[in-house]
Amino acid sequence: MAFHMTINGRRVDANAGETVLATARRHGIPIPTLCYHEAVEPFGSCRLCMVEVTKAAWKGWKGLMTACLYPSAPDLIIETDSPRVRQVRKTVLDLLLARCPDADVIRKLAAEYGVEQTSFVPRENPDKCILCGLCVRVCETAATAAISTVQRGHHREVGTPWGGPPPDCIGCLACAHVCPTGHIQYSEAGGGRKIWGREFKLVRCKETGKTLPITEEQAAFLVKRQGMDPSYFATSEEAQRKRTATTLGKIARWDKLGLVQEEVKS
Amino acid sequence: METVRYESADGFARHVDELRKSRLASQRRVLVCCGTGCLAGGAEQVAVEMDKQLSTLPAAKRAELNLVMKKTGCHGFCEKGPLVVLMPEGTFYKGVKPKDVADIVHRTIANGEVLEHLLYVEPKTGERVVRYGDIDFYAKQMRVAMRNIGHIDPASIDDYLLRGGYASMVKALTTMSPEDVLVEIEKAKLRGRGGGGFDAGRKWRSAKKAVGDRRFVICNGDEGDPGAFMDRSIMEGDPHGVIEGMIIGAYAVGSHEGFIYVRQEYPLAVEHLRKAIADARGRGLLGKNILGTGFDFDIEISRGGGAFVCGESSALMRSVEGKVGEPRAKYVHATEKGLFDQPTVLNNVETWVNVPRIIEKGADWFTSLGTDRSKGTKAFALTGKVKNTGLVEVEMGTTLREIIWGPGGGMLDDGPKGKFKAVQTGGPSGGCVPEALLDLPCDFDSLTEVGSMMGSGGMIVMDHSTCMVDVARYFLSFLTDESCGKCVPCREGLLQMYRIVSRICEGHGRMEDLDQIESLSQTIVVGSLCALGKSGPNPVLSTLKYFRDEYLAHIQDKKCPAGVCKALITYKVNHDACDGCGACLRSCVSQAISGTIRKGETFQIDEVKCDRCGACATVCKRGAIAAA
Amino acid sequence: MNDVDLAPTNEILSKYPADARHLVSVLQDIQLAYRYLPRQALEKVAETLGVPLAKVFGVATFYKAFTLTPRGKRVLRVCTGTACHIRGAPLLLTELQKRLNIKPGETTEDLEFSLEVVNCVGACALAPVVVVNDTAHGNLTVSRVRRLLTTKEKASSSNQEEEN
Repeated sequence: MAFHMTINGRRVDANAGETVLATARRHGIPIPTLCYHEAVEPFGSCRLCMVEVTKAAWKGWKGLMTACLYPSAPDLIIETDSPRVRQVRKTVLDLLLARCPDADVIRKLAAEYGVEQTSFVPRENPDKCILCGLCVRVCETAATAAISTVQRGHHREVGTPWGGPPPDCIGCLACAHVCPTGHIQYSEAGGGRKIWGREFKLVRCKETGKTLPITEEQAAFLVKRQGMDPSYFATSEEAQRKRTATTLGKIARWDKLGLVQEEVKS
Repeated sequence: METVRYESADGFARHVDELRKSRLASQRRVLVCCGTGCLAGGAEQVAVEMDKQLSTLPAAKRAELNLVMKKTGCHGFCEKGPLVVLMPEGTFYKGVKPKDVADIVHRTIANGEVLEHLLYVEPKTGERVVRYGDIDFYAKQMRVAMRNIGHIDPASIDDYLLRGGYASMVKALTTMSPEDVLVEIEKAKLRGRGGGGFDAGRKWRSAKKAVGDRRFVICNGDEGDPGAFMDRSIMEGDPHGVIEGMIIGAYAVGSHEGFIYVRQEYPLAVEHLRKAIADARGRGLLGKNILGTGFDFDIEISRGGGAFVCGESSALMRSVEGKVGEPRAKYVHATEKGLFDQPTVLNNVETWVNVPRIIEKGADWFTSLGTDRSKGTKAFALTGKVKNTGLVEVEMGTTLREIIWGPGGGMLDDGPKGKFKAVQTGGPSGGCVPEALLDLPCDFDSLTEVGSMMGSGGMIVMDHSTCMVDVARYFLSFLTDESCGKCVPCREGLLQMYRIVSRICEGHGRMEDLDQIESLSQTIVVGSLCALGKSGPNPVLSTLKYFRDEYLAHIQDKKCPAGVCKALITYKVNHDACDGCGACLRSCVSQAISGTIRKGETFQIDEVKCDRCGACATVCKRGAIAAA
Repeated sequence: MNDVDLAPTNEILSKYPADARHLVSVLQDIQLAYRYLPRQALEKVAETLGVPLAKVFGVATFYKAFTLTPRGKRVLRVCTGTACHIRGAPLLLTELQKRLNIKPGETTEDLEFSLEVVNCVGACALAPVVVVNDTAHGNLTVSRVRRLLTTKEKASSSNQEEEN
């Protein structure tokens, strides 16, 4: 069901069930985000996507809401870049810069809002984690909830049980890929992968001996969760492509060879 | 003990009738307060001794006196505890020690003789007051939510029944429809007592309309505001009152499952609520087919894990779900998607305990109390530098001055430092109100207009020995500790603000700090995800507004006028007042005090070794040591 | 790592339906039984309630009621509520810190005492208050609070004599 709202003075159509962020982006109206990702439920923790919301019925009262969570509704009047919004974004980025002075994405965003240096006391021994929570949420949704946020308040951090290698991690790297600042590091060498202090072996193709970009644990996880055939991961894409090509080739010459079922199958 | 079970409203009425004619109803009562406060003062030993002494009375005398001893919940006058009240006379004894009990039993109870040294002394007149009802602290209160506390043994459902307990529930379930009940609450304009002040009727109506397979009612017993203990006393002292309110509310909105969330720090409340729930179930007042009406409802207790943020309704619900207490955006209300994403009504303890009263006496009675927009009464926890600290329930609209100098009995200390300076209301979400605003009415709106709020009812009176910058620092320290850490403005912003204010207390403040505090506050107020963050800057902003010169003294003069901020004070011995007793020297663990007694000189405090612990000033009986 | 006796954990788990929503209650019971949350116990809890271990760990570290290292036989909780604060709680805390030589959140080496700060126990009229295990001691001063560190027998009866 579609209806209309106004964003930055522009009348746009919106759909029931859409958030203000989704509606805006669909219309090419930019709203900055840090803790948002299409693959997971919105969280509302970075506050960067705050927009000014009002309705005629609210008689001039305007609220600041996070666009990633606020539901689009008929006759909403949204401003994505008002002075109040910019002030909030500026301060949020200033605070994040104090927390993670070496995170390039924060430095860049902060500069866009006029913050070259933080006006607050920088964190001691800072890392690049802005606590957006994307890694935890992605792991929860797409993998095994192997990592979580630990402690609370300004001691809060993303961590593993007792700080050691996480027992449930499958080494899928979803967390590293979704991390906006590159805080989550991993390494690969000699057919192995290391992340969160845990070492994994990559699957080796039975035919070519080359490693697949997934770990044995990840393969097992996908087999279990998706009900897949275990042999799916036994060979590399390359080997599978070769086989498919051979098979197709045989099919193309089948009338000449006079063989049908058996050849195709192999 | 035979178990009675009520299968119908008639069965209930018959049993209550029997109770009224029973010995329990006619017995004279020896009430020993066993709330947390009095227990801390040794009430358990008093109760044990009371039992012992009563049993030494000759059988004939005991029959004649027809007594029963009851261990009650908190009377709300904890500082004067342990308390013993003799009913029906109302003889009120304070500061009772086990060694006083023999006299109480043999002289007062057996002989009618009043023991003067145990009587409460009215601070204004210096007179001793015999009767409970004549003590200003109680006389000037109107107890509705706290009506039963101190009069009943919370472990006795019969005590509760004798005070009219569960009659409202029976009335609602058997003579009113759920809609009737809801309309009555809407008419009463009952606003939430936990701090938010949201109209309860509107909340219930919204939940009733919402779509869901299950519907929940929750009692928020988290009471995290430091300085507030009204809810503790109600849960400990009148657990059935809460249960009855919830049954009525559940009936109105169509819920069959209730939760009482009790904070970790209140084990006695959990114990008493568990007993009350078990007793109510046993009588058929909770469970399936209550009183044969076909209405099912039961309650489970959920314990907090020690997190102030779980007082926030969405965080509380996550905690009940077994998760971390992280609030979530409330663009979709809890009445539509709350606990387990089902329609949920969450209300505070004090709100629930008002419900049976409203059903009993009607919405018109309730709206006759209070002000235009704040109906009924409110329970306050009055603490700090007042003579009578404790729980005070008054009509909404009573002014701060009337409370502090009425039941409160006025300021605690005489002398210049004992003068009124400020009253902090609303806990960490509230602010400080100065002398000039003491005639403001206590209601949902007036205090908010001046930068504070009534909040859940915490009211902390401060005199000139309190440093307002330190108060701001204290609340920021509390909030940074309790922040869940999910959103940036609260987690990072309050931390930075705490650092700034700490620096000011340590003598490293700059004038630019005040601007930074104000601008940072704006972002925290509008940008935070939940009320903990949003209201976090209130204590700083209100102290800055009304006590700016104190901030300036810290920043510009590097002085703490109240003599609190350690980095800015030194302890000095006033040689003229000192009598050389040496108590200070003995109390000092830093070996900072030394000296010999000669003419014109006594002891010296080494500024460098002194860590400003203040022990010496406390032990000095001459008041010869002070911070400046 | 020392092996932890899981019998108490199993007993606790048997009291609750195997539902994730009972996690906090289960952890509270375990904390009471062991005076901390042993790793092996939490692994059992994760398995039984069907909650990922990382989530259990997250909950265990979020709430102040839980500790991952053993608490002392006597836990001294200094109330730092507002009323206690303005009636001298910080001085009590400094004193106890000095006497026990530990910081809030820590336990003495002999596992006799743990020192903690707690937010308002609701005994504000008796400020300042220190709770020793489940018993509240009110109207304390710097010198009176030292008595809480004496032997068990003395400590429990001293709160009556204190007020003299």
